[in-house]
Amino acid sequence: MEINSLYQIYFNCELATKEEVHSFIAEIVGQDNPISREEVIHQLNEREKVGSTIIAEHVMLPHIESEQLEKSQILFFRLAKPIETWDCQTKNICLVIVILLKKNESVNIKKRIALFTRSLADDEYLDRLLNSHEQEEFINEIIKY
Amino acid sequence: MKIVGIAACTVGIAHTYIAQEKLENAGKKAGHEIHIETQGTIGTENELSQQQIAEADIVILATDVKIAGRERFDGKRIIQVTTEIAVKSPNKLIEKAVEVVNQQK
Repeated sequence: MEINSLYQIYFNCELATKEEVHSFIAEIVGQDNPISREEVIHQLNEREKVGSTIIAEHVMLPHIESEQLEKSQILFFRLAKPIETWDCQTKNICLVIVILLKKNESVNIKKRIALFTRSLADDEYLDRLLNSHEQEEFINEIIKY
Repeated sequence: MKIVGIAACTVGIAHTYIAQEKLENAGKKAGHEIHIETQGTIGTENELSQQQIAEADIVILATDVKIAGRERFDGKRIIQVTTEIAVKSPNKLIEKAVEVVNQQK
């Protein structure tokens, strides 16, 4: 579900592993951008090699930047069931927030995304997102910039 | 205690800003004066002044990439970590900074 041009929400996603999440991201990105599925998955994996993208208990924040993206986006995947094992150190993931940053994006959009990512430092805000069990409630909780 | 630092991650859009917020919140909550400069996709924000650096008891560098102006901290006590540590355990990182400063007094 699209709530404006920057944010897209996918509620009750049936994704069971990190690989399925990465494939789903690649599928969504591939619909509107001239970037291959393999390239998206490669970039997501490369970012994970630098360090985990977990930002709080139960919440992952995978992100990529590419000149093959035509617009920047923030995707929310509220999982139907927790991913029990994301990797050997990361367990029980319920919410995946994806940032797709277009290379050479405008400063205005970058500032909006940076404001959004700063808001993710608030554990109480993330708890509200994690505890929103209805789609409308979840959408209403998302702070948009 | 006075703390300054830098947050910088690879893409410069996610962990940079979360690390800054978490470190500043954790530092203030523990009663310290803290300023974290971000070097992200927007460029440098919240740039540290020479006075802030001179007065700081310790520097926290939460970085995954090479940062600009590291020489500004020459001669200062520095804790170097990844942004992941700052995002996951900001309170522990501030406690560690206090410990390092107290040990060297």
